[in-house]
Amino acid sequence: MDGDGWHGIQLFRDSPLRLSLPRSLRCSSPRLSLWEGGKMINLFKIKDQKREESGNATGRAPVKKQSAGELRLHKDISELNLPKTTGITFPNGKDDLMNFEIIIRPDEGYYQGGTFLFTFQVSPSYPHEPPKVKCKTKVYHPNIDLEGNVCLNILREDWKPVLNINTIIYGLNLLFTQPNDEDPLNHDAAAVLRDNPRLFENNVKRAMAGGYVGQIYFTRCI
Amino acid sequence: MADEALPEIRWRDVNKLLARPGNIVAPTFAHSPQLRDDLGKYVRVLVVGAGGLGCELLKDLALMGFQNIDVIDMDTIEVSNLNRQFLFRLQDVGKSKAEVAAKRVMQRVSGVTIVPHFCRIEDKDIEFYNNFQIIVLGLDSIEARSYINSVACSFLEYDDNDNPIEETVKPMVDGGTEGFKGHARVIMPGTTPCFECTIWLFPPQVKFPLCTLAETPRTAAHCIEYAHLIRWDEVHSGKAFDADNPEHMQWVYSEAVKRADLFGITGVTYSLTQGVVKNIIPAIASTNAIISAACALETFKLVSGCSKTLSNYLTYNGLDGIHIKATDFVREKDCLVCGPGTLIELETSVTLLQFIESLAEHPKLLISKPSITYRGNNLYMQAPPILEEMTRSNLRLPLFNLMDKVPKGTVHVSGSTDKDGKRTSCLRKLRVVFKGVDGIVDMDVAGGS
Amino acid sequence: MATEAKTKYDRQLRIWGEQGQSALEKASICLLNCGPTGSEALKNLVLGGIGSVTVVDGSKVEAFDLGNNFMLDQESLGQSKAKCVSAFLQELNDAVKAKFVEESPETLIETKPSFFTQFTLVIATQLLDRYLLKLDKICWQANVILVVARSYGLTGLVRISMKEHDVIESKPDHFLDDLRLHNPWPELKEYAHTFDLNVKTPVVHKHIPYIVILINIAEEWANTHGGSLPSTRQEKRDFKDQVKAHMLNLDEENYKEAMDASFKVSAPRGISSHLLQIINDSAAEVDSTSSDFWVLVAALKEFIENEGDGEPPLEGSIPDMTSLTDYYINLQKIYQAKAESDCLAMEQRVRNILKRIGRDPESISKASIKNFCKNARKLFVCRYRQLEDEYNTPVLPELQKYLTDEDYSFAVGFYILLRAVDRFAANYNRFPGMFDGDMDEDISWLKTIAVGILNDLGFHGSTIPEDLINEMCRFGGAELHAVAALIGGIASQEVIKLVTKQFVPLTGTFIFNGIDQKSQVLPF
Repeated sequence: MDGDGWHGIQLFRDSPLRLSLPRSLRCSSPRLSLWEGGKMINLFKIKDQKREESGNATGRAPVKKQSAGELRLHKDISELNLPKTTGITFPNGKDDLMNFEIIIRPDEGYYQGGTFLFTFQVSPSYPHEPPKVKCKTKVYHPNIDLEGNVCLNILREDWKPVLNINTIIYGLNLLFTQPNDEDPLNHDAAAVLRDNPRLFENNVKRAMAGGYVGQIYFTRCI
Repeated sequence: MADEALPEIRWRDVNKLLARPGNIVAPTFAHSPQLRDDLGKYVRVLVVGAGGLGCELLKDLALMGFQNIDVIDMDTIEVSNLNRQFLFRLQDVGKSKAEVAAKRVMQRVSGVTIVPHFCRIEDKDIEFYNNFQIIVLGLDSIEARSYINSVACSFLEYDDNDNPIEETVKPMVDGGTEGFKGHARVIMPGTTPCFECTIWLFPPQVKFPLCTLAETPRTAAHCIEYAHLIRWDEVHSGKAFDADNPEHMQWVYSEAVKRADLFGITGVTYSLTQGVVKNIIPAIASTNAIISAACALETFKLVSGCSKTLSNYLTYNGLDGIHIKATDFVREKDCLVCGPGTLIELETSVTLLQFIESLAEHPKLLISKPSITYRGNNLYMQAPPILEEMTRSNLRLPLFNLMDKVPKGTVHVSGSTDKDGKRTSCLRKLRVVFKGVDGIVDMDVAGGS
Repeated sequence: MATEAKTKYDRQLRIWGEQGQSALEKASICLLNCGPTGSEALKNLVLGGIGSVTVVDGSKVEAFDLGNNFMLDQESLGQSKAKCVSAFLQELNDAVKAKFVEESPETLIETKPSFFTQFTLVIATQLLDRYLLKLDKICWQANVILVVARSYGLTGLVRISMKEHDVIESKPDHFLDDLRLHNPWPELKEYAHTFDLNVKTPVVHKHIPYIVILINIAEEWANTHGGSLPSTRQEKRDFKDQVKAHMLNLDEENYKEAMDASFKVSAPRGISSHLLQIINDSAAEVDSTSSDFWVLVAALKEFIENEGDGEPPLEGSIPDMTSLTDYYINLQKIYQAKAESDCLAMEQRVRNILKRIGRDPESISKASIKNFCKNARKLFVCRYRQLEDEYNTPVLPELQKYLTDEDYSFAVGFYILLRAVDRFAANYNRFPGMFDGDMDEDISWLKTIAVGILNDLGFHGSTIPEDLINEMCRFGGAELHAVAALIGGIASQEVIKLVTKQFVPLTGTFIFNGIDQKSQVLPF
């Protein structure tokens, strides 16, 4: 606490704190004022100048701030353990992990042979908030609607900060191997799956090959 | 302004606290008749947000004797602000909140200078935030709080014994309200918990399952969210929904009504539609006044030392009587944002690969398979293979070069470590200091590339 | 309500609704002394659209007023403070009538007590207690609500004075819906019986609402337990297991909800002790002078004793729960039908009581009765003591308790000292520490007075911490803006609760502790 150090914080009683200014900036005038003005303001002026110079002269971009969410995502991504059905790409390069895409190529079940693209948007509040996931491939699926909304509990109501990107990717894979007719997003597809699995299988095949199921056209994704 | 003429007698009441000695004051409190003047002249305060809390804060701080205040807010004034944001009038609708608020307070309180910044908090250079001795937050989102917190904590440096270096501490005072409830807190990075240490205090927003919306709606809110999240995309392929566009809102409302009628559900109103879609938090003047006043008072005490301060989190509830509680939360010692991390000294010649290998042997770390990130640049990623490939070439380069030749800087490492004989994944903050590099250069300035 | 007002007040209408808003718009508020504490209190009310405000202050604006009051600026110097504050308030909201009286509140209290009877509510700020005591008597007699607010250095207080305040819409934060799972009525039981919990179709099984699940399993339980429901801890655990045993798989949300709610099956029948106290209040023995509230309580008491079979009228609302839409809507209808029939029975009783006490049987509207039924479990009666009683007959054991409780030591100290400074002012015509030169003398005098007050209250030998006495003198009667804004903010919040008759107002005295923010409500 002596010498030239700042007295930024000091413990007082049961821990409240106070902020004061550097002793080095106090002059030795008899009055015990906290701040000796002129010097103080000069210091800040100097700092400002320095900043402007470095900013203007070199035209540097401002320092990028890494949010706690980005750091956590960094951990998630660096620990990704993708199933062999799944690929990942980072359209904005290696330094933007907050926006990425995954591709699932199911190797069993109704959707075997198809290729399905999902986009992930991760907010700075991750993992407080779950990522936004959309299916970009139009798919005939009871739990994915034609706009690409995905009904997966951990993406909304059951999301918890302990879950991670791996869990979501696992969940998405499961949707293709075990489509579920009990919590449908595509009502018609769910009804067909429940009442006539064979027809459902045919519909999925037709959709994946590129064609109509009922009134709806699906682009080829095999 | 002809205000300089106003005599110091104006500050008669504030001076009772600043000019007199006290028994319950901070040890460094230096009472003086000059103190109020110094406070006005030399202390710069940043108010983040010029809304319900921000308007009150500007007024409160100006009348507590602060005379150099900046305020930042990207929002413009809306009619629904007028029930509490008392610096705004009907004819101000559409104008910048920060600009109007600054002007109104300067008009009424002579001698105060308030500089408005009509922009996003992210638009400002990080160094902008270093211009202020203290930052007061009147925000309504977790994201914005988290951002300011990370900025303020980024100035924090630790000494070799992992104690915060006082000159780098950027205190924050944060307020928040919801209806009759609110909170006020004091954040001293490195000493009291930062926003990230206690993120769990904020409950996550309730989200309905999509299949409930699609298949088994039961409440008015389900019908509204169906119209908003599912039906909108079906009908307006590609066109983004804009919650501030009244036509969009009206469309969602009428679709929600249709859906509710179909299922025999009651209770869909336009007001509820707005509430659900925009996640509107009810807000009243009195709670904002109370919480802002508590924040302004803490700011005043922190800066002047004229009394004890809140330690460190106050909750307020005025629903049933009046309940105020102060809770002394403790820091997360491994917090990635405000914690000291682990200090590592390196030669400038050490390559990234050598650095990575050293982490496995470092007695405090023992991290294997580490991935390294520095200020948003992923220097090396162990997985997935595509990123590993993209970052592999960095392994041969000196870390010093990869870190823009700063004398010291913070890197974050994800990897796995042994804990009680079990391999667990971890995320660590490392303070890297390069030997033999002139340490005088300000890290935050030099690191700006 | 006009569209513009609806938009302007949107964020508060979501809290107190149009009913609450219209109550505010009908209220007329009188403010005594328009320093920052009073001005800030009114500002919050004017923004919210209070009917009218009348600012009473006899002083002229001086330079030091500009250091703590936002409503005054340099141009106001030398002018009537009441006029300037009222003009600023008017600027905030043209829907409000802002008036002023250039007269000292003390004079009005002494010479024109009838002045106060025209208001719904009086906010008295920075008023010495000898005037407060007189004002309190005036307000009490005229049935005008009195809210006292005081800022003093880093402390202050807020207090309410009125005979009685009854709340129907107390709007508690977390209040569980009355589902009657422990005591289902026949129609509900009948509906529950239409379900087969062993249904094989998975979609149906996982969408049976938990209300139905619990009623059926409770019945199973009662059948094997001599008609009684689980009551011991072990039984409750067993019951939960029995619910779990019906699950087809562990993902079934409706069963998870049933397990979480299974304790409700064991809820005791009948009403809470809180409600019991209200229906047994002597005011519930009504006559022609009784308020509508107590007539409704009298009817409630009869209802509980008769058709309610020990229970209050059903509110009729159910929480959202995993369910197919139809099942849920059907359940909702069954609950609403029961609520309506209960309300009808209540209405009958209200009309009969009104007739009996000689009032127009239709003088309480059906809507009011319905609202009362919906809130019957949440009623609140707040009774206050007259200020004089608080001064003359302290609640000794309570005070003793708080004097020795560390969490309250500052708050109790300030409570005594806030009285002491008024006594000081009465004796010496200034607040302690008002002038720098008198500091040491004032500290010892204030201490003597504080000890005297403690003695008067019966605490001989008790004392207030020296530090606190010193600080109180240091404050020197200062009205700091931040403290004033906080105290004024709380006062305005209490006014809103009192005027809208929603939420539960403060009972006791709120003591602000601006030193470490450990403020307290003292129950006296």
